[in-house]
Amino acid sequence: MDRVMKADQRQRSIRYFDYSLLMIVCFLVCFGLVILYSTSSYNGQVKFQDGAYYLKKQLLADVLGIIVMAVIAKIDYRIWKKFWFLSYAAAFGLCTLVLFVGQELNGAKRWLKLGPLSFQPSEMAKVAIIIFLATIISRMPKQMGKFSALIKVMLLVMPMVVIVASENLSTAIIILGIAVCLVFVSSPKYMQFIIMGGVVIAFGAAFIMLESYRAERLKIWLEPEKYEKGYQTLQGLYAIGSGGLFGKGIGESMQKLGFVPEAQNDMIYSIICEELGLFGAVCVILLFLVLIWRFMVIASNAQDLYGALIVTGVLAHISIQVILNIAVVTNTIPNTGISLPFISYGGTSVAFLLAEIGLVLSVSRGIRLEE
Amino acid sequence: MVRNKTFNRKKILIIFTVVSLVLALLVGRLVYLMVFCSEYYGKKAEDLHERERDIKAARGKIIDATGTVLATNRTVCTISVIHSQLEDEERVIEVLTRELDMGEEAVRKRVEKVSSIERIKSNVDKETGDRIRNYGLAGVKVDEDYKRYYPYDTLASKVLGFTGGDNQGIIGLEVVYEDYLKGINGKILTLTDARGVEIENAGERRQEPVDGNNLHISLDYNIQLYCEQAAKKVKEAKSADSVSIIVMNPQNGEIMAMVNVPEFHLNEPFMLVTSDDGAVTGGATQEQLNQMWRNQCISDTYEPGSVFKIITTAAAFEEGVVSLNDNFFCPGYKLVEDRRIHCHKRVGHGAETFTQGIMNSCNPVFIELGMRLGTDNFYKYFNQFGLLKRTDIDLPGEAVTIMHNKKNVGPVELATVSFGQSFQITPIQLVTTVSSLINGGNRITPHFGVSVKNDQGELVQTLKYNVAEGAVSNETSGVLRDVLEKVVSEGSGRNAKIEGYTIGGKTATSQTLPRSANKYISSFLGFAPAENPQVLALCIINNPQGIYYGGTIAAPVVKEIFSNVLPYLGIDRQATAEEDRQEQENNNQ
Repeated sequence: MDRVMKADQRQRSIRYFDYSLLMIVCFLVCFGLVILYSTSSYNGQVKFQDGAYYLKKQLLADVLGIIVMAVIAKIDYRIWKKFWFLSYAAAFGLCTLVLFVGQELNGAKRWLKLGPLSFQPSEMAKVAIIIFLATIISRMPKQMGKFSALIKVMLLVMPMVVIVASENLSTAIIILGIAVCLVFVSSPKYMQFIIMGGVVIAFGAAFIMLESYRAERLKIWLEPEKYEKGYQTLQGLYAIGSGGLFGKGIGESMQKLGFVPEAQNDMIYSIICEELGLFGAVCVILLFLVLIWRFMVIASNAQDLYGALIVTGVLAHISIQVILNIAVVTNTIPNTGISLPFISYGGTSVAFLLAEIGLVLSVSRGIRLEE
Repeated sequence: MVRNKTFNRKKILIIFTVVSLVLALLVGRLVYLMVFCSEYYGKKAEDLHERERDIKAARGKIIDATGTVLATNRTVCTISVIHSQLEDEERVIEVLTRELDMGEEAVRKRVEKVSSIERIKSNVDKETGDRIRNYGLAGVKVDEDYKRYYPYDTLASKVLGFTGGDNQGIIGLEVVYEDYLKGINGKILTLTDARGVEIENAGERRQEPVDGNNLHISLDYNIQLYCEQAAKKVKEAKSADSVSIIVMNPQNGEIMAMVNVPEFHLNEPFMLVTSDDGAVTGGATQEQLNQMWRNQCISDTYEPGSVFKIITTAAAFEEGVVSLNDNFFCPGYKLVEDRRIHCHKRVGHGAETFTQGIMNSCNPVFIELGMRLGTDNFYKYFNQFGLLKRTDIDLPGEAVTIMHNKKNVGPVELATVSFGQSFQITPIQLVTTVSSLINGGNRITPHFGVSVKNDQGELVQTLKYNVAEGAVSNETSGVLRDVLEKVVSEGSGRNAKIEGYTIGGKTATSQTLPRSANKYISSFLGFAPAENPQVLALCIINNPQGIYYGGTIAAPVVKEIFSNVLPYLGIDRQATAEEDRQEQENNNQ
């Protein structure tokens, strides 16, 4: 009787698909487009005589990203195990290439020109590192408790971190953060991570003390009003502060009119604060929290460790970016250029983020619900 | 296939928890910024977005005793360009060059300059401004503005003064009453983007300007105009360097006219006036301009000469060292130490009483008076009469009396001071001091400002001035009025006599320094009616050619003024002795 029941349950187990995640992502993308249009129309008008300039480019990237997401969601995620080395090598190669033939924009060489499209290899590096590490770790789960394995994994990541860091320190920090999260999840130990965290903090402090350039950033962070370079931070704070509880209403921001430089990029959250107020700003944070919560649920219920690690990587990626971006905009930490996922202007970024969501959805399809 | 283990799940949960906590902290930070710092940052942001444009307040008018407006405002335009809004630079340059009558180079330089707003020209006629506005050129702004306008141009130019580019007073009453006249500028606050471009439909906040109050002065347009004509006439007739006339009410210090010819053009104050018909030489230096704007009645000192004998007489009577019937003898000179000081009549006046002495303006008589008084007493009365202080007239730039230091005064200095030489005072000081002596001893403050009213005629403030009583006793004051009346009726001032009026006065002729230049200042001070003075006038002719005696050339000017001003002020003619007799005869018939 019991056995029959069990067999019956197996048969009735449903193929799961995380629609709530899909809905949240779709909402975020649409919300992002609205805010982006509101924020960028002034800059677009001034620079390109077309208020919808940025909107059009972002929309193209979104559509492309959603197609990629749908395709990847259909494909069994285990396929990507075979591409672990290729993805790493390709990302590494492109990141190296960008150093030599990259297109310079705002004083940073971060873009590769491919016909009419420009492409940011460092965004690809994030996905590559997730697939790469998930594959490697899931092959040797038993050894992950050892300190030596931990060091080994970190050493494998290092070349990528270094090559990215040479042009784009913030992205390097995110890649490193993803790696640490993946190793943390795969290891049963705690103590070594606490020690490692302490060491990182100590080194970081020493690094800042030694380099006067970083120390200056620190001073700007503490008193943005006293330094000329604190301009962007200060303008962000003006935007946030003038938002108040319910904001000025969408489209009504004053600070986006050239006061916050390139408001549609990293500082877009400050304009959300100004237009939608504290209420809207907290809603955006909650939206991301729900997204991350879905990641956690999928990761916890993934069919295998590989799937769980992929989702964890995506979770780490998005969490780190959201936290760092909001922390920078609110001047909680010193200024560094990190975009807000799905909302900030940046085609490559949103396309790869949607690809990552595709991976997560693919993992979610592997979940078997058993009643 | 490696399964997802429990510890993996637990660790994922830990990551999620940490992320949630950090996000919660950030929400806390947001609450802090958007609730507690909202006002601070909001205000800062607003300051950043708002651009101010001033709306000028209309400056108050200056209105004379008859209600005639002497200084008012005219609408003018300021033309400026906003570089970022310009569409057709060439056309703007072309139109502005033509309309504003400026060099193309200058216009081009300003139009092409990259700045948020660049002023092309201010004080442009309203008609020109309207024409430029009608072209509808993008980026060209025409702002209306007030400019000071003086309807009578040269009338009382050195008294009224004029205003500068920001409508602030530069000289004269315009400076002294700046605070009452200027009003409070209003503001238009508009929102702009980071490039300074105004945002359409953003609405603007206006702070309305408060117009300045009107200043009512004691100056009388008709008297001023008449005095000015009289001054011009005598200046021309005697080819004098300049002529100054002050007409004042000796009872309260209200000045009815203050003339300094040549006057200058208030509407073109930077245009140099070289002669009466207003011929102009280009490129006036600041030095020349300052000289032209100078109010000689207030800023220049001169040796008062015989008019000062009034003051010596007052001091002597106060001290009681002389009486009207004291006998004097004038041999034509007086020996002081080893110096022989001449009387203006070289052959001498012979035996004379004090009354005759002042009627003859006899120097030896007054030297004697000075001797009797002594230096200490003389200085005591100078102080008592207020002669050594400024008069505190409500005009800027009053010069101070230049008097010998008391310890340097020897017999010779004392003698010369007694008849008004070897020291200098301003005309206004002389007029004020004599007024105080003849009005019963009230040291008055000479002034123009009477009251401040708003444009609806409501009184804002009545201007008050110090009056110090007891400059001289009533008796002395009466004696002075009597003897000075005799000077005009029978003595050296007889050229100022008008039938039917009792007029008191004193003539003066003083040689300017250096004496070798043979330049003179002729003057006459008169007042009427002698028993109860209502009008006091001083006429000073600087460097007249030909006859230079004050009694001959200055006294007729005052006579002319009085014969018009006295009836104008409603001071009745008294019947003369002859008329009395005729009237009696008529009655008898």
